[in-house]
Amino acid sequence: MTSTTSRNAPVAAASGTRPARAGQSRRTRHRGRALGTALLFLTPLLLIYAVYYLYAFGFLAATSTTRTTLSFSEATDVGWENFHLVLTDAVFIRSVANNLLFAAVSIAVALTLGFFLAVVLASGVRLRRFFYAVFLLPSLIPLSLFATVFGRMLETRDGAVNATLRTVGLGALSQDWLGESGPAYAALFVLLVYLVGLPIMYYTSDLSTANTAVLESALLDGANTGQMYRLILFPLLRNTHKTVILSVLLGSFRAFDMVFFSTKGDPGGRTGITGTYVYNAMLGEGRVGYASAAAVVVLVIALAVSAIHLVIQRKGQ
Amino acid sequence: MTTPTGPLGLLRQQRGHTVGAYVILAVGAVLWLFPMITAVRASLAFGGPGNYLTVLAGTFNGVSLPRTFVNSLIVAALHALIVCSVGSLAGYTFSKIRFPGRESLYYGVLIFLAVPAVAILVPVYWITGQLALFNTHIGVALPEAALTLPFAVLLLRNYADGIPDELIEAASIDGAGHGRVYRLIFLRLSAPALVNLGALSVMWSFQDFLFPSTILKDSGLTTAAQAVQTIQSGFGPTPTQTSQYFAALVLLAVPALVLVVTGLRFITSGITQGGVKE
Repeated sequence: MTSTTSRNAPVAAASGTRPARAGQSRRTRHRGRALGTALLFLTPLLLIYAVYYLYAFGFLAATSTTRTTLSFSEATDVGWENFHLVLTDAVFIRSVANNLLFAAVSIAVALTLGFFLAVVLASGVRLRRFFYAVFLLPSLIPLSLFATVFGRMLETRDGAVNATLRTVGLGALSQDWLGESGPAYAALFVLLVYLVGLPIMYYTSDLSTANTAVLESALLDGANTGQMYRLILFPLLRNTHKTVILSVLLGSFRAFDMVFFSTKGDPGGRTGITGTYVYNAMLGEGRVGYASAAAVVVLVIALAVSAIHLVIQRKGQ
Repeated sequence: MTTPTGPLGLLRQQRGHTVGAYVILAVGAVLWLFPMITAVRASLAFGGPGNYLTVLAGTFNGVSLPRTFVNSLIVAALHALIVCSVGSLAGYTFSKIRFPGRESLYYGVLIFLAVPAVAILVPVYWITGQLALFNTHIGVALPEAALTLPFAVLLLRNYADGIPDELIEAASIDGAGHGRVYRLIFLRLSAPALVNLGALSVMWSFQDFLFPSTILKDSGLTTAAQAVQTIQSGFGPTPTQTSQYFAALVLLAVPALVLVVTGLRFITSGITQGGVKE
């Protein structure tokens, strides 16, 4: 937004100058000392990582082959049984598919509505900051709150959505939103539309630095509004599209609260995602070994997504 | 507010664009505010504005709302402090100290960008028990920080890469070691990035439900995001109590709303600074 946050400047300076050549032995000594300083500076980070990632993953792996509870006492070894059960459970497979489906919906919403709203906001409308804040709000307040209010709005008997539909004479459209899987999916898709704030941020930021001067010649050539959006502005922001797709994908595995507080995965776990699945197995049913096995699978997928993200990012540089 | 000029303003010369833009924005704003308006209306439907006082003064399942604000703030402040201090040390190291294996280690740190909280919830439960951190604010802030740190390192290294190496080298020639360069030069120059990261850290901590709800069992320690669930059964099904529950939900949103309104600029800058570089 401000000129100090230009996103492209820092990267160019990354592969900086090499240090001046010195005697080989002095360099080795120098590098050895640098390694010592570096490790000292990184100690707090490595400590947190060691406990909450490395040790945690080891513990998770060990627990995933047992049958145990949250007291972690009297664990019985069951070998690969948990993994076998997780991977053959239709509800789990469905939760992974839902994760991908919701990510795909978010990406589609981002590339259409998010892109469009950001351009409209950048075209010099009044009250720009007000509109910007309104569209970002659902993404920035705690999802537990937003999804709860949203879930309440969908209640069949006295929810605000059905009430509004009745008031405007569309009572026939009112639904048992959370009791059937079709409407429940529809409700979650709408919720995803409300969470379009993040892509708007990225587009707005890049629009302020993008070279939009090409619009002038397009105007002279008599391009209409639709053509300007589709043929000029959309291709112009192709790098932003990549950023948006990757961040939405990364975030989608962390979207636990959205489902947990709106549909709770109902009916019958059919709208659940991996997050709610693991949570229910762990805290709902107390099957901690089983939940760990599911968590391992989720972790492998999440790490793969991170790795793809990093490879693409590195190639870009 | 003045309208920005620039080529994008040319869109306004298109026939109908301005009118269309305002119609779309107005309809969008109404739809986007609809959940919030619904919540406020529901909170006033039975019992009126007095509901807010009732909810503020009372305790529900042992949870007092003003107390949840304090708890959320403490956890968020601890989280932001850990993320900014640990993250800036790492960002400086990965950008300004040349050591063998630097890039591999850097990517090894970033690989955890997408780890979901729920995937490490079982081990976090065990670790929290081992470290005797149940029912402590720091017990929540630490795993939250573990999840935020990959992003923080990415953001701060990118920012540090934009600070000229010459500044660091000049200080080294003057005899300053990395410790002093970090404290006296780097921390000062990276202040804008740290403010952005701090605002983001506070926001993400406010949003966190999973860690507080598994680690903070004591109702006196409940955070605002966690209270959404824990106070629910404290309200009966009567119309007045339902209205009071909505009043509570509206109030629970207030700290996050204040943060968003005052810190939106920093949050936006922070998110886009940490974005994938093209």
